[in-house]
Amino acid sequence: MLPDVYRHLCAFLDVRYRTEDPHSNQSKWRGLHSPAMNMFIRAAQYACMLLGHVLERQAGPGAARAALRQLEASMSSGRKLFRLGNMVHAMVAARQTIQLPDLVPRICLTASNLIRALYFICDTVLWLKSVGLLPHIYKWKWRNWATKCYYYSLLMNLTRDLYEISWLLEQAAEKEKAKENSFPWDTQDQDLICLETERQSQPFLPLLYCTLKKHPPLLLDTTKNLCDLSSPLDRLGIYKTNPGIIGLCGLLSSLVGILTIAKPHLKLK
Amino acid sequence: MEAWVRFSAQSAAKERVFRAAQYACTLLGYTMQKNGASAELLARIKQLEAHMSLGRKLFRLGNSAEALEAAKRAIHLSDMVLRFCITVAHLNRAMYFACDNILWAGKTGLVPHADQEKWSQRSFRYYLFALIMNLSRDAYEIRLLMEREASGKRPKGTENGHQAQVDNGLQHLALRLRIQLRLLGHVLRSNPPLLLDLVKNACDIFIPLDKLGLYKTSPGFVGLCGLTSSILSILTIVHPWLKLKP
Repeated sequence: MLPDVYRHLCAFLDVRYRTEDPHSNQSKWRGLHSPAMNMFIRAAQYACMLLGHVLERQAGPGAARAALRQLEASMSSGRKLFRLGNMVHAMVAARQTIQLPDLVPRICLTASNLIRALYFICDTVLWLKSVGLLPHIYKWKWRNWATKCYYYSLLMNLTRDLYEISWLLEQAAEKEKAKENSFPWDTQDQDLICLETERQSQPFLPLLYCTLKKHPPLLLDTTKNLCDLSSPLDRLGIYKTNPGIIGLCGLLSSLVGILTIAKPHLKLK
Repeated sequence: MEAWVRFSAQSAAKERVFRAAQYACTLLGYTMQKNGASAELLARIKQLEAHMSLGRKLFRLGNSAEALEAAKRAIHLSDMVLRFCITVAHLNRAMYFACDNILWAGKTGLVPHADQEKWSQRSFRYYLFALIMNLSRDAYEIRLLMEREASGKRPKGTENGHQAQVDNGLQHLALRLRIQLRLLGHVLRSNPPLLLDLVKNACDIFIPLDKLGLYKTSPGFVGLCGLTSSILSILTIVHPWLKLKP
């Protein structure tokens, strides 16, 4: 059974990764590089959480649920191991985002990266505790700090997303106004048809939908951040849900992450 | 800092670092045991080593497919010996990773009845075959290069003159051996990728030889060999020109 599952998984994923040698015109298979592999394992981890919750609801706790929990814990600790150098990534990203031209994205993203660096530091301490190298630290205290850092970093990312969305909506409204004032109505202009139809009925959501449809990277990034928010909201007690919702949201955000790695043009810059 | 980001973005870079750390733990554990360290410290080092091993197994889950793809690519090589050695090496690696996946599934409880010892032995057997193929490939490349060097030097005529003068059989053999060794040294010095690959495979081969009981050494020696080969492969990642092609 296991070899079949493995084969089907590989076929389903159909992963092709960019080669490290840009001049090589050989096959694009170069093995799964760490960020992509991390996303797959994260997706599998949250899928286990979701599946475990569904099984528990239907059949009550049992051997399958225990096995899924053990698998989830193993994947979580493996991912923690491979996250060990990531505070450096966050610091380098902060150094890059501090040079952005716009003020609001510059502040939001730099703050988000710096807070993420703090999260990775807490994560490293938690790993050292789980491995037994720092036995005397308070796990719950550091986990609380790590969750808070993750939560604030997500809020910063969402602030930036909301700023971009509001800027795009403003642009769309100005463009529509300019078109109305200067040129005759052109029925073949898709943008204007979309906006005009929505403007007449004045609802905000369809306008938002139109704007986001034209900017898939922003839509994907907003979705990912909103989904990621479910876990810290539950852990901090701000909005308690159940492991099923957290698993589903985590799975969705991991799939979005895989998509942005497989198709880099979908990543929000 | 940017160098670390660039390094860790490459495939298998972090995995190599953790391999080096894992074997460093093995070496450290053995050294501390010899020097009479406490059982608690030794247990902690062993726990860290097991943790890194399991984490590495998790991130190696896709490597079987990668090895098969590399074997498919190697089948198109022009040289027949290279084609055979590299393809068979990759196929054995693919089998090793498949056994490794089963070991991971067993350790995490997905397949609780898997015989860990049996699958571990199997995986080390495939690893040994892959390393033997790699070493054969290295030997073949070295022989080719030595022949090329020797045929390049023959027009100079100095060695021929030497051989004409010496008629004692043993001295003749010793002289030939010295010439061959000098040639070997010259070939390896002028081909750092080949030298690195040879040393890496030679270090690696002691690991399965020990684990399969074919040539028992000490855990410290195994740790040292593993650490050396991991550092050499990190070197080939940091300096891609040091990687032996194809």
